[in-house]
Amino acid sequence: MSLPLLSARLGKRQAALEYKWMKRATSPIPLDQMLARRVAGEPLQYILAEQPFGPLTIKTRPPVLIPRPETEHWTIRLAELLHPTATPARPLSVLDLGTGTGCIPLLLCHLLPAGSVRAYGVDISPDAVNLAAENAALCGLSAPADPSRNSFQPIQASFLDPNFPHLNLGVAPPFDLITSNPPYISWPEYVRLPPSVSHYEDPKALFGGPDGLDFYHAIAALVARNDFLNPGAVVVVEVGDGQADSVQRIFKATAQMNTEIWLDPWKKMRTVIARPGI
Amino acid sequence: MSSPEDILRLKQLKETEPIQEAWDNWISTREALRETTTLLDDPELRSMASEEYAMLTESLTEIVKTRFPAILVPPSRTAHLSALMELKSGVGGSEASLFLGEMLRMYLRLAPASGWKADVVASNELDVGGTRDAVVEFKGPGAYDALQWESGVHRVQRVPATEQSGRMHTSTVAVVVLPLVEDSEAHKEELYSMDDIKIEVMRSKGAGGQHVNKTESAVRLTHIPTGISVAMQDERSQHQNRRRAFQVLSSRLMQVKLTREMEERRASRRNLVKSADRSDKIRTYNYAQERVTDHRIGLSLRNLTSVMEADGLQEFVSAIKRDHEESQMEDMLQEE
Repeated sequence: MSLPLLSARLGKRQAALEYKWMKRATSPIPLDQMLARRVAGEPLQYILAEQPFGPLTIKTRPPVLIPRPETEHWTIRLAELLHPTATPARPLSVLDLGTGTGCIPLLLCHLLPAGSVRAYGVDISPDAVNLAAENAALCGLSAPADPSRNSFQPIQASFLDPNFPHLNLGVAPPFDLITSNPPYISWPEYVRLPPSVSHYEDPKALFGGPDGLDFYHAIAALVARNDFLNPGAVVVVEVGDGQADSVQRIFKATAQMNTEIWLDPWKKMRTVIARPGI
Repeated sequence: MSSPEDILRLKQLKETEPIQEAWDNWISTREALRETTTLLDDPELRSMASEEYAMLTESLTEIVKTRFPAILVPPSRTAHLSALMELKSGVGGSEASLFLGEMLRMYLRLAPASGWKADVVASNELDVGGTRDAVVEFKGPGAYDALQWESGVHRVQRVPATEQSGRMHTSTVAVVVLPLVEDSEAHKEELYSMDDIKIEVMRSKGAGGQHVNKTESAVRLTHIPTGISVAMQDERSQHQNRRRAFQVLSSRLMQVKLTREMEERRASRRNLVKSADRSDKIRTYNYAQERVTDHRIGLSLRNLTSVMEADGLQEFVSAIKRDHEESQMEDMLQEE
């Protein structure tokens, strides 16, 4: 009975696809309940409790931010960029800021050569840290008894804290790679978000301050500290529609870094890559 | 270490093994027959010997009629390839889609019996039942060689379950079987250059990123030089749809390449081999008569239920393969 309702909500084509995915799912939830939840506006990724991300399957659970296709795209590109030089002889020390499900460091660990990545992720939300730890275990990348394998370890902390990273936190600079998909939605945009986002996903993972740029200022200040980055390090951040230029300026002004912009598959300026200036 | 020349020689030697085996088999069988013949005059052993005699004569005939000719057939260049099968319902509306669903099950059942792994990569199921179209992967050596002859239009004649008046309908399903090309192989065969591929992603306008969480993962690839275009939307991620689309594109381009190579070989021959056009009607499934007919080889069998529900399809697959080998031999003889 819910399928026509779903069609009315999503359009016939999208409804048919989603119906098929729900039917195919291994979830213990009955199909009619899944349909009813979808019709009520819940994101499909929460109903199915997982989302493919590159070749990985990432577990999803409210309110932790659902991995987006744009993030998948730039993470794969980043892995391709790092792949030629990544080696277990000198593992990359990676820090993901606001790690959420852990999707970014997990995909890097999966795509880069065994033993070439030691990744850490911090998040202020215990929900996110727990989920990221579950995902690390599911991907076989939990930290790190065996140095011949890649590992990812999520840690609960606020990277806005002036003392971050605290002593004994279990993660310490210098880093070779900083990644982040920080909250970047501004106030005026926040109030116009579709309910499937604003009613279900964590505001702490979405809202980036009045102009959406608060976290870029914080990240730039963090990486500008002495000995936070190794020589040759790379900082990669996802940005919202129309923010790329501002974010470039922040990294140039605060951290004297050289920057580059990557487009997403829809030709939007989506990712800012910053490297320490000479 | 063996040199490339050594490897080539070893390969040639390996390829002659079946000839030696067949010849040894022929010699030993003939010797056994000779010995048996002498026993036919022995009154005590006669009945046993005559039984043996009939059996050995049959073996010799089999060797001459089947094994020796089979050696002459050049080894297939595509023997190692897996297959990608596309099924599309043609005329007949929802009845064609219902039959497509049944054909899909028929082919899926063939896979384990043949040692292949089958995987439905994409399918469009209809609310009213049946499947409008589907793409299936058959992984395993020999899959392409066996299934390539399934390409063409399959026709079903029956009274649809949905038909109230009991009137007979004729519907069609078009099947295309392509060689399945793995990522590594696509690169080796130089099927395309990334510069020639246009990648389009489909999505309604908007900010993207954190602003939306709708699953919009459809991808379309276009190979500009040939105009071949592949759209994929069955998977939930961009990445998966992209991979699938590249795989289908590689298979299509591989097919183009194989066809071109075959035509080049043919052009050097005097006669034309009968060509299999995709628009040709190749087989009819007639439910009223419980009959399946393959129009290319004129084979009709009253085993429709076995074809659809058990292992009857294998008979057709083998018969067509045999026919192909025979026509290859005829070609070789003509070339003399």
